[in-house]
Amino acid sequence: MGKHTGQTVTATATGNSRIGTFFKQLSKQKMLMLMSLPFLIWVFIFKYVPLWGWTIAFQKFRPARDLFNQEWVGLKNFKMLFQEEAFYRVLRNTLVMSSINLVLGFITAIVLAILLNELRSILFKRTVQTISYLPHFISWVVAANIVQTALAPEGIINVLMLKFNLIDQPILWLGKGEYFWGILGATEVWKNVGWNTIIYLAAITTIDPSQYEAAEIDGASRLQRILHITLPGMKSVIVILLIMNLGHILESGFEPQYLLGNGMNVDYSENLDIFVLKYGMNMGNYGLATAAGMFKTVVSFIFLMVANNVAKRLGESRLY
Amino acid sequence: MSGAKSSRKVYSSVPDKLFDVFNILFMIGLMIFTLYPFLNMFALSFNDANDSIRGGIYIWPREWTWANYQYILNESSIFHATFISAARTIIGTLVSVFCTAMLAYTISRQDYVLKKFVTIAFIFTMYFNGGLIPNYLLTKELGLLNNFWVYIIPGIIGVFNMIVVRSFIEGLPEGIMESARIDGAGEFTTFMKIVLPLTVPALATVSLFVAVSQWNSWFDVFLYNSSRLELSTLQYELMKILSTSNTAASSGGTAADAFAGAQGNVTSVTPTSIRATMTIVASLPIIIVYPFLQKYFVQGMTVGGVKG
Amino acid sequence: MTTKKWLKTGLAVAMASVLVITGCGNNNNAGTNDKEAANSGNNAEENTAPVTFTYFGFGSGKDVLASDTTIGKILQEQTGVDWKMEFAVGDVATKSGVMIAGGDYPDVIIPEGEIDKLIDAEAFIPLNDLIEEHAPNIKRVYGDYMDKFTAEDGNIYILPFSANQGYISDPNVSQGAFWMQRRVLKEFGYPEVKTLDQYFDLIEQYQAKYPSVDGKDTIGFITFAGVADNFFTITNAPMHLAGSPNDGDTIIDMETHEANIYATSEYEKEWLQSLNELNSKGLFDPETFTANKDQYLAKLTSGRVLGYFNYGWQVGDATNNLKTAGNDDYRYVGLPVVFDENTKDQYIDPPAFVNNRGIGISVSAKDPVRIIKYFDNLLTEENQTLVQWGEEGVTYSVDENGRYVMSDEQIANRNDNEFKRSYGFQYFEYSWPRYGNNSVLENGNSYAVGNQPEVAYAGYTEGDRAILDAYGAKTFAGMFAEPDDRPWYPAWSINKAQGSPEQIYAQKAGDLQQKYYPKMVFASAAEFEKVWNEYLAEFDKLDVAGYEEFVTKHVKERVAGNW
Repeated sequence: MGKHTGQTVTATATGNSRIGTFFKQLSKQKMLMLMSLPFLIWVFIFKYVPLWGWTIAFQKFRPARDLFNQEWVGLKNFKMLFQEEAFYRVLRNTLVMSSINLVLGFITAIVLAILLNELRSILFKRTVQTISYLPHFISWVVAANIVQTALAPEGIINVLMLKFNLIDQPILWLGKGEYFWGILGATEVWKNVGWNTIIYLAAITTIDPSQYEAAEIDGASRLQRILHITLPGMKSVIVILLIMNLGHILESGFEPQYLLGNGMNVDYSENLDIFVLKYGMNMGNYGLATAAGMFKTVVSFIFLMVANNVAKRLGESRLY
Repeated sequence: MSGAKSSRKVYSSVPDKLFDVFNILFMIGLMIFTLYPFLNMFALSFNDANDSIRGGIYIWPREWTWANYQYILNESSIFHATFISAARTIIGTLVSVFCTAMLAYTISRQDYVLKKFVTIAFIFTMYFNGGLIPNYLLTKELGLLNNFWVYIIPGIIGVFNMIVVRSFIEGLPEGIMESARIDGAGEFTTFMKIVLPLTVPALATVSLFVAVSQWNSWFDVFLYNSSRLELSTLQYELMKILSTSNTAASSGGTAADAFAGAQGNVTSVTPTSIRATMTIVASLPIIIVYPFLQKYFVQGMTVGGVKG
Repeated sequence: MTTKKWLKTGLAVAMASVLVITGCGNNNNAGTNDKEAANSGNNAEENTAPVTFTYFGFGSGKDVLASDTTIGKILQEQTGVDWKMEFAVGDVATKSGVMIAGGDYPDVIIPEGEIDKLIDAEAFIPLNDLIEEHAPNIKRVYGDYMDKFTAEDGNIYILPFSANQGYISDPNVSQGAFWMQRRVLKEFGYPEVKTLDQYFDLIEQYQAKYPSVDGKDTIGFITFAGVADNFFTITNAPMHLAGSPNDGDTIIDMETHEANIYATSEYEKEWLQSLNELNSKGLFDPETFTANKDQYLAKLTSGRVLGYFNYGWQVGDATNNLKTAGNDDYRYVGLPVVFDENTKDQYIDPPAFVNNRGIGISVSAKDPVRIIKYFDNLLTEENQTLVQWGEEGVTYSVDENGRYVMSDEQIANRNDNEFKRSYGFQYFEYSWPRYGNNSVLENGNSYAVGNQPEVAYAGYTEGDRAILDAYGAKTFAGMFAEPDDRPWYPAWSINKAQGSPEQIYAQKAGDLQQKYYPKMVFASAAEFEKVWNEYLAEFDKLDVAGYEEFVTKHVKERVAGNW
């Protein structure tokens, strides 16, 4: 990827001049500032100001009272969170489900994007694309319903497996906790793979077509062309997305687990968000919900910074 | 698809042909899996709601009826709500994409002194949230309650989208910016005349994300504008219809529902059939529009072959 | 460049349309403000100037302007008051949180399950003085019950929905029961089915004789426990089998009024063992624990299920569907099944007072006096008849004995949600100050249409009458025992404060049961004992004693008259 050659700041002897140069540069970049500062103000107002809400984590919050009339409970909400036995189980579930979704999501979307790119007929390609992202528009309620019907003892999956003699008794798929992670992974892929390819396909369009021509002339096979031109062309986008998603490692989703979960698979299906719903929002315990949110942010930052640093060290494009 | 490919003469070897066949078969299989839910929704939306309760509807209705659609379209509020949805989608997308792209441009400039600061300031916001109540109170203080602009302003910059556009800008050949600068173009002019046209695939992608998000959102209507019917959107109206079709027989329910259930109510529509119809009604516009957007995804880097 | 032009025109068009939208909106607002300003100046005694108040219900419903309905219009003509009625969509907890934080309340609120939060937030005004000075009808209707819904601070914040005037029982079984498919009973000559053993036995025999119907297997027994918030369906069963009505998760002793949770009792064990046995015989449908609402209803309407346990109101969609389909054999009848022959079943609810569901006037209400007068007017005998029966000659008629009757068409309309909405029943029959469901009007007719014997009989099919005759009952509820008097009933409505130990206990106990029920039902006979003990051990970790103490205390207070 080409990088712009910037103007280097000439180091001067004294620190003062460094600041001076800084401001001189700043005035030269008035236009850039005009183009970005309004949004800086926006992000401050809309994202940073509401952070006062983090104080809720240290209170027994009652929405009716304003900030100064709340009951302070110190670290009680955090204690409740970390001392709860269930917390570690749901944390495990969250991390596992999230990782599975991350890996599967990336691999399937990238592979599908590449395969789509290899299609020759534009019409066919567009048709496949349009149809493949349809499940993205189905609400999770509907999608979960479809999955439950398919996985029922008399549902299509069991019917087919029985027909091909893969099993001799129908399996109660959603009743077996160990299968839940797999079922969730598959469902997420089915629902989102088409949509996820959009960005990779857009990335592929930026690859210089003359590279392909050159490769053809050199006698490269299709696989070689994919590995040496297409993939590298997508690399920076892939890395950036990977870093961003690693930051979201504790977001494993909420609706699918809530809808597909039941008493039999709860040990595997209950994740952090559901736990917070039960003991936080449903009991009016805003403090607990906020404490969990803060915990998530801290973990996100750790993953984000580590991922970004690793990318930096490996010489890949970085998020920041 | 990069334009050059179709004009290329291709020698198809046997493995190549095999690959193509496999690819096509795979795609067909994929389409079956991904088309099914929609066919299912289609079938359920045209099937008599009471008959649907008995299950067994897969891709074709058993008892055809227009009743579900009539039920939804009978709501006079639907039409105005669709107008609002379209308005917020169009305005929201135009405004957001333009601003996001502009911001992405500024942080793509290596020499911008505030580059790192701005980048980090925005990226961090992807991973924290002040909470529902603080955000609500802020919105209220800013006078954005019961207001159309609450659909646009709080979401003006999408950080993810900003990063995507930035990546694309960074992928532009070095020479282009330099030559623009030499020609005396200022930052804004460079942005408008050079960068925007050349990053069309990224803009199209981001526009799609924003547009879909705008079209589908209803939670903000629920939180901020639920008392003003004239600001309601299609999705929210559909949500309302769905909510009210949860009659006595639905799980738990309120005391009123239990009472009504005891009285023996019958309905002509059920939540299931409403949901199916909703899905079709709400998604159809997007599905129709997307193929037209697709052509923007193929304008690749074939501009004058500027290199080095 | 074309892109730029697109942008420009697009933005221009968009901006223009937005101005139109916001312009329109603002004009409307200005209009209502002026009107309300004019009205608040008016302090006349009998104020019938037109005014519109806001009403918000946390249950589900379709937003409406009251005067767009027949009933709403009649009431408006009487009082000049109209209502902009709005209902909750989506997550009610979020809505209440945001409403409280914002501090802007509608004029009246029906909090349903969010009542604790709203009372805690002091969202309601005390009604004591208003009732005293302006509302003779409220005093008449609620007089006997006042203590029960007066809060600890001596104030009345809501007017509940269940203040019965007189008592008439429901002829149908709308609460819990063990349901059996009619053709099973028919096959064996309508035998007596009193105990759980008899019930399951009959199912076993029938299944042996007819293992399939229409090419698909018959299902012995199923219940609805696949969705978390309905898990109580399967866990409440042992309580009923032990001869108790629905007191939630405790059984209350009739003499000592002590509460004991039954989740670890012998009753629970017996229930789980029966299910376990049933499962080993292949008569228990495992989808009990995984099916969602749609799947469950589909099974019930398929005609394959021989027996199920549910509260009638949970499966109304399915039972109505079967009734319309017309095949009586596939329909079900509720049976008062208990563990032991000598136990008296108590499935039918005793006359009860639910004190935590009602309607309140918020602190943001601009004219509480006007509102309380509207409420008062609503409680006249005529208007109460109006909201349940409608207009004489239109939605019901009176026969020569002064009894209210309905034609088939009128009954059909009364059950049709569309008609109910446009006429106004949907909006006015419940969530307003009212007589309780089991009330009797002064002229002897039932208050609620569903409880009027004449109306109930008119709706009975051939099959209904056949079964009733076979069991010697006049109504379906007649097959069940009369409820004993329970002054505290229902224990499930005892208020658990937000975030309190009781609430947390209830959540954890529920989670525990959800996890262990499937394990115990699916365990092999040899392992059952082991899993049961595991379950007991886990339960021991919870503060059962504390919870029982809490419930006992409140039950005793209720018995003493302190609600």
